[in-house]
Amino acid sequence: MPMAITSTTIPMRRAKKRDWSWLAGYALIALPVLIMVALIFYPAVLALIDTLFVPDATTGVTALSLSNYQAFFKDRILVANLLFTFQVTLTAVALLFVIGYPLALYLRFSKSRLASVVQVLTLFPLFVPGVILAFALIQFLGSHGMLDSLLHAFGFTGFRTPYLQPQGVIIALVWESIPFTVLVLTAGLRQVEDAVVESARDVGANSWQIFMRILLPLSLRSAVIVFCLNVIGIFGAFTIPYLLGPAQPMMMGVSMQQTFNNYQDRVGALTQAVITFLFCAVVGLLYVRTVTRGRKERA
Amino acid sequence: MAVVSHSPSMPVKSSVFKALTKTVRREGLSVVLIVALFTIIIGPMLTVVLWAFADVWRYPSLVPTQWGTSFWAETLARADLAMAFPLSVGLAVTVTLLSAVICLPASYAFARMNFPGRQGLLLSFLATNAFPRFGLYVSIAVVFYRLNLIGTIPGVILIQIVNTLLLMIWIPTSAFQGVDRSLEEAALDVGASRVRVFLQVTLPLVLPSLSAAVLLTFVSTFYEAQGALIVGLPNVTTMAVLMYSIINSQIIVQYGAIISFILWLPSLILLTFAQRFVRGNAISAGFGV
Amino acid sequence: MSTLELVGLTKHFSGAKQSAETVAVNDINLSVGDGEFLCILGPSGCGKSTTLRMIGGFEEPTSGDVLIDGASVVDMPPNRRPTAMVFQKYTLWPHMRVYDNIAFGLRLRHQDKAQIDKEVRDSLALVGLTGYDRRYPAQLSGGEQQRVALARALVLQPKMLLLDEPFSNLDALLRVRLREELYAIQRRIKITAIFVTHDQEEALSLADRIAVMNAGQLEQLDKPSQIYAYPRTLFVADFIGVMNIFPVQRQGDLLHIGQYALKAPEGLNGESGLSVAVRPEDFTFSATDGAWQGVIDQTIDLGHYRKVLVIVPGLFGDETAALAHRVKVYMPKSVQARAGDRIALTPSRYLVYSDTAVTRTSSATRTSSATPNAQPIEVRNQAVSGEDDR
Repeated sequence: MPMAITSTTIPMRRAKKRDWSWLAGYALIALPVLIMVALIFYPAVLALIDTLFVPDATTGVTALSLSNYQAFFKDRILVANLLFTFQVTLTAVALLFVIGYPLALYLRFSKSRLASVVQVLTLFPLFVPGVILAFALIQFLGSHGMLDSLLHAFGFTGFRTPYLQPQGVIIALVWESIPFTVLVLTAGLRQVEDAVVESARDVGANSWQIFMRILLPLSLRSAVIVFCLNVIGIFGAFTIPYLLGPAQPMMMGVSMQQTFNNYQDRVGALTQAVITFLFCAVVGLLYVRTVTRGRKERA
Repeated sequence: MAVVSHSPSMPVKSSVFKALTKTVRREGLSVVLIVALFTIIIGPMLTVVLWAFADVWRYPSLVPTQWGTSFWAETLARADLAMAFPLSVGLAVTVTLLSAVICLPASYAFARMNFPGRQGLLLSFLATNAFPRFGLYVSIAVVFYRLNLIGTIPGVILIQIVNTLLLMIWIPTSAFQGVDRSLEEAALDVGASRVRVFLQVTLPLVLPSLSAAVLLTFVSTFYEAQGALIVGLPNVTTMAVLMYSIINSQIIVQYGAIISFILWLPSLILLTFAQRFVRGNAISAGFGV
Repeated sequence: MSTLELVGLTKHFSGAKQSAETVAVNDINLSVGDGEFLCILGPSGCGKSTTLRMIGGFEEPTSGDVLIDGASVVDMPPNRRPTAMVFQKYTLWPHMRVYDNIAFGLRLRHQDKAQIDKEVRDSLALVGLTGYDRRYPAQLSGGEQQRVALARALVLQPKMLLLDEPFSNLDALLRVRLREELYAIQRRIKITAIFVTHDQEEALSLADRIAVMNAGQLEQLDKPSQIYAYPRTLFVADFIGVMNIFPVQRQGDLLHIGQYALKAPEGLNGESGLSVAVRPEDFTFSATDGAWQGVIDQTIDLGHYRKVLVIVPGLFGDETAALAHRVKVYMPKSVQARAGDRIALTPSRYLVYSDTAVTRTSSATRTSSATPNAQPIEVRNQAVSGEDDR
């Protein structure tokens, strides 16, 4: 057999040297991880501790107490702010799905040459920073603004501006979030192959059935991510409600800023921050879990 | 027997008509969408641009009553603007560079090196998205308060770097992962050293994604207002923070319009590159999709 | 020009958990002569690519050695080994033109411009792509890309050419053409070549010798004709070409296949675990005594000959699985045969294998347990076939 080895004795390879490459990996990621821990997890944990351990007014001894949170929920104005934030968030997120899914479906399936124009238009708000958007919407939606003039030109005179109204905040937040919503929903729909849709059509499913039974289940992950990030993003919004919203009730972001800057009440602001953390925690975990699963499946 | 004869022009006419209705039916939806989106999306920004070039604009005119640029000199001469603009640019450049130096090596490690807990650590950066933004800023501000970082430039730089982490790690990581390893092996095989393989094969292939990440980081930092507002005031006023006071104390619309217009230009330039990023799905990676 | 030796080459992959280690390549020993064309053939996951990647330096062996011209290269990174690899995916660098792809390695060696120019053009001519130097990889077809990859490997004048299933992404016709071109080029420049493939036709038509691998083991290393005629293990018998394999019961000097029997060869040791393998072309059709009486179930016209699937009642114990248990027979087209015809089959040549369990699964124990017959025993049925001498 030709398997015979040449007669010279060959020294066997020495034992494998120790592998230190994992250390290099840690060295490279150390700095961003450190920054994240120091500037996200540490402040969040500290906020929890600062609001839960309250110094006694007479003795000065700190003890575990829910008094900060009791104070929050006894304050009618703050509770109204929290409820208002919920209302705005839910309305805006629902609107984003109602607007985003048709646009995403159009971008996924349209064979029109004009589809790229639609895509550019939907992405446009991504490149309009919040402060500029607020200014622009004031000029557009304000009384005697552009929209008012447009409607006037068509003979409609009963225009009532949404500026400084809850509607104004919702319109602006939806405007701001459309690109992200459409982008991610479209990406999710693109993962569904044409053949899957065609075979469903082949067995007689109509468009609505195809959407509900094929497209939605198969792109559910992107829908969940859109839901989570929109909820968290809108719940923690500041610029838009600060510049466009009513003075009362205000959204939590504005409320926190007022408490922090105007009243110099740091513990009060932290209490509000922790409450928003807790309300968003469920959604935040759902987001992280969804992304984690998605990456595992792809791997 | 009557013979029905078609005039030769008839089929031509009807085929043109057919083609037209077909086009309308096919492109009708697109046209309706474009008109609606243009009004809603472009309308507000167009209003700002028109205001920037208006001397007088009275309701209910659809265009300025009197065009002109007489407010430009006044606006550009504002002292607060003269201070805020270089500060904003300087901050954005610093934060972007720092973020790149900190994050790009890490993204290479996440994509190409093996160490325990790699996946978990990469995913932990999603935390920047999982916290309600402003609540987080308030918590950070309280920490900075104790460290005397409120109203300082290092404070603003730090809070803005937090914003860039996810983008600057996830987009490059997925780009590095996207480079087929056998392309690198082929270069090793013909005799290139590991450094050369990185510089001449890996880097050119990820460069579009890396520049997308850097550009997006720069622009988002340039416009970042919330963190700068809560940590920077009262000493550090960026362009974006300046806009808050201009909007809240608006007397002359043109001031805000002109500043918005100037402020918006970098973004407009980025917009022209947008199509390329989207095709590469670079932006989606920044959201963890 | 160069020789290659693999000595006890072994690769373990650690799984996700530290305990889960898989043996990808287990104790491979072989040597390849100067200018020889060796094909490593095996099913996917058999460790053939890992073996090649250890030769190229892309995987580090757990133990064992790789010697080129008698010198160990196992501590060298790929960029310092005198080997050049052509990968399965066309690994042309998409941001470089064809010219720069090929010149990349030459430039690293600091050759002067005129020399590089000449060598790039020569190598492009060698693979038949003169004039393609200004193109980008994306502008080339799959076959052209793989030819450029070959040129890129050859231009460095490596001691050894390694090819990792280079044609498996191409369509069938192109695959055959490139195979022929590769063969011609290899013969012309007389380079030692190691070619990994799962396609036995490719291996049989290219190789001087074939190394058949299965489950990390080297099953057989031989000339193509030998591999076909004398597959050393049941795995090779089953994997190379078409083979009818029957488990048999031995009684004295008879091997029982269901109700039929064949003569046991002399020198056959062992009672159980015996199998008989018959090539489809090794049957005669005369109705002699003891011939297998069957009915043609299906005929398949394969151009120059006819493949016939025959059901032989009583040959296999389990008649319900008859579809899987049809005897495969090649017949010359001069012989009339239609589905439903009765037919008598007599094996004119067969191989007897002992201990199927060992050869079918991991043969790690093969060397230790003294199996009765390490080699199959060939039987030529002289009574029915005198002329058959493959």
